[in-house]
Amino acid sequence: MSSLMLTLRESMRYRGRSGHWSWLAHRISGLAILGFLVIHVWDTANAFFYPEVYQWSLAVFKHPFFGLGEIGIMAAVLYHAFNGIRITLLDFKPEWWKYQQKSATIVWVLFFVIFIPIALLMFSNIISHCSELAAEGASCWTIPRLSDFLQ
Amino acid sequence: MTAVSGTSEKVTRRAVQLEANFERIAYLGMRMSGIVLLVLAVGHMMIQHVLNSSTNLTIQFVAEQWRSWGWKSYDMLLLIFAFSHGINGLRNVLSDYIHNDKIMKGINVFLAVFLVVTILWAGFAIARFDPAAIQ
Repeated sequence: MSSLMLTLRESMRYRGRSGHWSWLAHRISGLAILGFLVIHVWDTANAFFYPEVYQWSLAVFKHPFFGLGEIGIMAAVLYHAFNGIRITLLDFKPEWWKYQQKSATIVWVLFFVIFIPIALLMFSNIISHCSELAAEGASCWTIPRLSDFLQ
Repeated sequence: MTAVSGTSEKVTRRAVQLEANFERIAYLGMRMSGIVLLVLAVGHMMIQHVLNSSTNLTIQFVAEQWRSWGWKSYDMLLLIFAFSHGINGLRNVLSDYIHNDKIMKGINVFLAVFLVVTILWAGFAIARFDPAAIQ
């Protein structure tokens, strides 16, 4: 346990300047995507195996908490994709290593320029979903119960 | 493969012969699947989570998409590429911190089995999904 704490602390420590932050963000976003992906894949398979359970999970995922998580996953996918291109290009084009710092900055700028409008759109979807439910006298904060979906 | 030396101003390349072991293939596989996923995964996020929204996703919508073999193939490819890319990424991260060969071997076996089972289970679901069964 103490070695895990040491690993986490040392991983976070500022060492390699911009490249270190890119490396850390790539790692964390990758792990976050995989964590989500495992749930997402096994859940979507339920559309075939247990359609009632799948429909319940779709309702659960409309909860604002999951909506915010979805925005987080969008951020992770976009950053991981853009930084992944950078890693691949630099791996195959050593002549471009002199642009390491510049390319790391470009990836961050590209990420924010594309992510921010998307995040705002996704956030507005959550808000309109909640206000639609509120207009019907329901609440988007209620967590759906599985028993309501099983026939 | 090229080996590289020199300063950032002058790069010297020389050809080196590398054996095609698993780690080398996995390394290249991460780059290649990454390029594929740039289209498949980012495309999936844009289509399903921006143009469409989880806030109005229904099983009828899924059935409508999986009526076409085009969508079924897209999701099948995404499943295979994303899951193997992700599992290999996790293996890379873990091997950075776990230096016990026995434990790492056990983890590798577990991850490989998990990868195969997941792709078979979810792939079977996509292939056999019958839109007509959904009202």
